[in-house]
Amino acid sequence: MTTQTAIKNKKSKGKLSGPKYPWLVHTVLILVSIVMIFPLVWLLSTSLKGNQQAMMIPPEWIPHPVLWSNYPRAITYESKELGFIPFLVYGRNTLIIAILTVSGTVFSNSLVAYAFARLKWPGRDLLFTLTLATMMIPFPVLMVPTFILFQKLHWIGTFRPLWVPAWFGGAFNIFLLRQFLMTIPLELSEAAKMDGCSEWTIYRDIIMPLAKPSLAVVALFTFMGVWNDFLGPLIYLTNQNTFTLSLWLASYSSQNGGTEYGLLMAASTLIVAPIIILFFFTQKLLVQGIAVTGLKG
Amino acid sequence: MNKRKETLTALLFASPWFVGFTVFLLYPIIASIYLSFCDYSVLRPAVFIGLQNYSDLINDSIFKQALSNTVIYTAAALPLGLVVSLGLAMLLNTKVKGLAFYRTLFYMPSLVPLVALAILMQFIFNGQYGVLNSLLREFLPFVHGKSWPPNWLGDPRFSKLVLIFISAWGAGNAMVIYLAGLQDVPVQLYEAAQLDGAGWCSTTRNVTIPMISPVILFNLVMGIIGTLQVFTLPYVISNQGSPMRSIYFYTMYLFDNAFVYHKMGYACAMGWILFIIILLLTLLSFKLSEKHVHYGS
Amino acid sequence: MLLRKLYTPLTIVGLLATFAYSEYVVKPHYHDHKIHIVYWEKWTGGEGDAIKQTVNYFNHSQNKIHVDLLTISDIQDKTLLSVAGGDPPDVAGLYGADVAQYADDRAVIDLDPYLRKYGIKKSQYIPVYWKMNNIRGKEYALPSTPASTALFYNRALFKAAGMDPDKPRDWHHGHYTIEEMDKDAARLTKFAPNGQLQIMGFLPAEPGWWEWGWGYFFGGKLWNGSNKITANDAGNIKAYQWIASFSKKYGANNVSAFHSGLGQFSSSQNGFMAGKVAMEIQGVWFYHYIAMYAPNMLANPKTGKQAEWGIAPFPYPADRPDRAGTTFADEDVLVIPRGAKHPNSAFKFIDFMESPKGMDMLCGLQWKMSPLIHNEPGFYRNNRNRTARFFAEQAESKNVINVPRTGIYPEYADALQNAYDAVSLLDQTPKQALDVVQRQIQRQLNEYIQHEKMRLAAEGKSHK
Repeated sequence: MTTQTAIKNKKSKGKLSGPKYPWLVHTVLILVSIVMIFPLVWLLSTSLKGNQQAMMIPPEWIPHPVLWSNYPRAITYESKELGFIPFLVYGRNTLIIAILTVSGTVFSNSLVAYAFARLKWPGRDLLFTLTLATMMIPFPVLMVPTFILFQKLHWIGTFRPLWVPAWFGGAFNIFLLRQFLMTIPLELSEAAKMDGCSEWTIYRDIIMPLAKPSLAVVALFTFMGVWNDFLGPLIYLTNQNTFTLSLWLASYSSQNGGTEYGLLMAASTLIVAPIIILFFFTQKLLVQGIAVTGLKG
Repeated sequence: MNKRKETLTALLFASPWFVGFTVFLLYPIIASIYLSFCDYSVLRPAVFIGLQNYSDLINDSIFKQALSNTVIYTAAALPLGLVVSLGLAMLLNTKVKGLAFYRTLFYMPSLVPLVALAILMQFIFNGQYGVLNSLLREFLPFVHGKSWPPNWLGDPRFSKLVLIFISAWGAGNAMVIYLAGLQDVPVQLYEAAQLDGAGWCSTTRNVTIPMISPVILFNLVMGIIGTLQVFTLPYVISNQGSPMRSIYFYTMYLFDNAFVYHKMGYACAMGWILFIIILLLTLLSFKLSEKHVHYGS
Repeated sequence: MLLRKLYTPLTIVGLLATFAYSEYVVKPHYHDHKIHIVYWEKWTGGEGDAIKQTVNYFNHSQNKIHVDLLTISDIQDKTLLSVAGGDPPDVAGLYGADVAQYADDRAVIDLDPYLRKYGIKKSQYIPVYWKMNNIRGKEYALPSTPASTALFYNRALFKAAGMDPDKPRDWHHGHYTIEEMDKDAARLTKFAPNGQLQIMGFLPAEPGWWEWGWGYFFGGKLWNGSNKITANDAGNIKAYQWIASFSKKYGANNVSAFHSGLGQFSSSQNGFMAGKVAMEIQGVWFYHYIAMYAPNMLANPKTGKQAEWGIAPFPYPADRPDRAGTTFADEDVLVIPRGAKHPNSAFKFIDFMESPKGMDMLCGLQWKMSPLIHNEPGFYRNNRNRTARFFAEQAESKNVINVPRTGIYPEYADALQNAYDAVSLLDQTPKQALDVVQRQIQRQLNEYIQHEKMRLAAEGKSHK
C-alpha cells in the first residue's frame, strides 16, 4: 500500500513506452484474431456453397462453384407459400420496431436521466436507488405478468408490446445517461436560467447537443438489441407476416430439422452484415461513448 | 411559488419513468409474486395454492438439473470471460501498433446476433462433418480413442464446454469497457512503478488491477445477472437442452414451464428463486470487493 | 435556420407515420363483404400447395365465406399465445398430439354441438383418428390429414449386401421379427477407413419423431389411461435395452456423431435417401418425399427399373407375435381456437374439409391416405402415392398406437426423449433412465389431477 501512495504522490510527465517484446504481443494478438475471425470467415464461405459441398468431409475452404445464387434464394425462400418475400417483410418489421424503440428510448431516457442528474425533486434519490435495484430482477420474472398485461390490453400480435415500453424509460439507460449528464457543470444551466431560459429550452438546446455522443451510444445499443431480440418477438408476435429477422432465422433453421446449410448461412450473413457495417461506421463514436458514458461511477 | 414550479417541472421530466416504473416494473413484480402462489394456466382462473409451487420445485429433479447446469455454466463462463476480456484489453493497452484494427476484430464476434451465432456454431461443432473435427483429425492424427473426435454438441460431457467457449468468443464487449478503464489509468503510475523496478507482474497486481477495480466489479455484477439468464444460444442450439438436458438452463426450463407446459404460476416461482440467487450473489460480490475495490483518487 | 425549426415537427410527423404504418401492417385488409375466416396452417412446400388449392376450391365453391390461409411455423405455441392474447385465428391446423393439452387448457372449443348440427359421425372415420381427438368424452378436433407408420427399407443396399432385396416384406411370409432385422442391420452397417460409421442398417433415432413410443413395439404401455404412469414396465425397459444395443455394438459416440451428420429430413441428404440408413420407420408421407428428393429411387415402368426401396409392417419381437403390425397413428387436425371471431363459419369450412370431396382434394394432393372409411370413388386407385392404401390398412391394425391423451403429454415426451438420450449414450441403464421418468411423470400426473380438480372448483365458483 505504501508504494502505491508514493506512486500517487509522484508527478512526472512522459509517455509510456511500448511493450518490451512487441513480437510476442503481436503473435498472441494474431493468434487470438484468427480464433475470433475464423467462424465469421467460415460463415461467409459456407454461404456461397451448395449443400453437397457444405457438408463435405473433409471440409473445403473455397466455395466451388461460388453460388452467389444462395443469396437471392435465401431472400425469396418460401415466398411462394407465404405470398410475400420474407426477408423484405421481416426486415421492414424489424426496422419499424427499431425506429419506434430507438426514438422512444433516446427521448424518454434523456428526459428521465435529466431529471435525475440535473433537477431537484423530493424522492429523487430514493427512486434512483430503487431503479438501480430493479436491474437485478431477471427478465423471466416479469415475462409472465408482462405477457398477461399486454394480453389484457389486447396487444398480443401487434408490435406495441415490443416498442411502447421503450417510451417510458429503462433502468440501465437511465443509469448510463445520468452518469454522463452529471459530468456537465451545473453552472451552465444556471447561467442559462439567468438569461431567462426555461428548463425545457436548457434541456433541448444546451444539454442535449452536449450529450450527443452518449445518446448515440444508447441509440446504437438499443438498435442492436432490437435487431438481435429473439425472446420478445417469439412471445408477442403471432402472425407470420409480422415476424422479425431474428425470429425468421430461428424458424428457418428449425423447419423440418433445418434447411440447406448454404442457404441458412447466406440468411445468417444477411442478418449479421448490417450490424457489422453499422459498427464500422460508428465504432469511433461507440468506443468513445463507452469510455465517456463511462462506468466511472 | 418558484420552488413549487421547479418541482413540478422536474416531475414532468421524470414522468415517463413514473409510468414505466409502475406499469412495466412494479405491476409485473407484484403480479408475479402473487402468481407464484397460484396454479395458473393462462386461460383458466388462477387458483391460490399457497407455497405449493415452491415446495414442488424442491422435489423437481429437472429444476435441480437446470439449476446446477446454470451454476456450473456461470462458474466457468463468468471467470473465463473476465480473464479473456481483461487479458485482451491489457494486451491492446501496451501501445502496440494496429490497436484500432485488433479492437475491431475482437469486438466483431459480439456483434453477431445470437440466433445466427447458434446456427453457425452448430455447424462448426457438428460431430460428423463439422470443420472443427476435420481440423482435429488432420492436425492430431495420432490421437485415437473411443470418443475422439467428440460429437461436441451431442455429448453431454462436452456440450457445456462448447457453450462456455462460445461465450468467451463474445468477450469483445467487456473488453472495450476494460480498455476504456485502462486508458484512464494515469501514465505516471506506470512510470513510477518502472522506476521502482517493478516487473510486469507486480505492476499488474499493484497498479493496473486496483485502478480498474470498479470496472471489474461493474462487469462482474452485470455478468452475474446476464450469465445466469442464458437462454437464446442453448435454446436455438439444442432441442430441450439435449443431449440429456446437459445444456438445459434455468431460463429455458422457466420458459418451457410458462409457454409449453402452460404452468405460469410455477414459472413465476422459478423467476423469484432466480432473483434471490442473483441478489445474494450481487451482495456477496459487493461485500467481497469492499476491501479490494479502489475508487479513484 | 428554417431546417432547424422544422427538425422537431418533421421528427414527430415521421414517428407518427411509422406508428400508423406499424398498426396498418399487423391488421388484415379486406375489400369485399364476405365473412373472412383466418386459417393458420403449418404446411410448407408441396403440402402447403395442396392446402392452398383446397382452400381456393372452397372459396370459389360458395360466395359467403372467404378463408384466408396463413402459413405459421411453431403453430402450437403461436396458437396458444394468440388465444391467450385474445386474437386467435378462426381455424388452426394443430398436431394431433397437442389436442389433449389444448382441450384441458380451454384453448380450443368442444366441437360436439357442431358435429350434431352437421351430422358428422364417428362411424365415418377410421376409428383411431376419431379416438385421438376425444378428450374426456368430447371431440375437440377433426382430422385433416392422417398418417400411420411402417418400415421403409433400401432394396439397393440389401442387394449390395447379398441379401434378398425384399427380405423385410417376404421373410417368413411377412413375419419379420426385430431380432431378424437386427441381424440384417448388422450386415448392412459399414465403417469408413477412419473409423466413422458410413452406413447404418437401422438407427432407432432416425427420424426421431416417435422416441416416446418404442415401448409399444415390445408390449409396453405408457399409462393406464387415467391416473397411473407405467414408464418403466417390462416392455418399455426391453425397448430401451434394444435402443442401447446399437450403441453397445457400434460405440455410443460413433452412433451419435453419425446421427448428427445426417442431412435434413426434407432434402436429398436425408439419411434414408442418401443411402446412409438402410431401414427406417417412416410414415405415409414418405413416398411423396422420395418422389420429390430422390426420384431416382422410384420404379420406372418405361425402363423397367425396379424401385430401390420397399415397405413392410414394422417387425415385432419374436416372443411377442401379438405385437405384429404395431404402427403409430399420427394426424394433423383442425380446431377452432377459443375466442375465434366466426366459429360458425369456421365450422362450415371444416365441414367441407371433412367431406369426401375435401379429403379427396387435400389428402390426394398431399399424396396421403384419408381418415374416412368411405371416400370419393377412385381415391386410392388414383392416388399418386402407391402406398396410401397400405398405410390406411395399417391404421386399422389392432396394434395401432397414439400419444397418451393427457395434458402432461409434452412433459412426458420430453422426459422420454431425455431417457432415450441417456440410454443411447450408455450413460444410464434402461431401468435407471425409465425409473427416473416414472417418478417424475407420476408426480406430474398426480399434481395435474389435483390441480384440475381445483380449477374445476374455481370455475364452478366463478359461474355462480
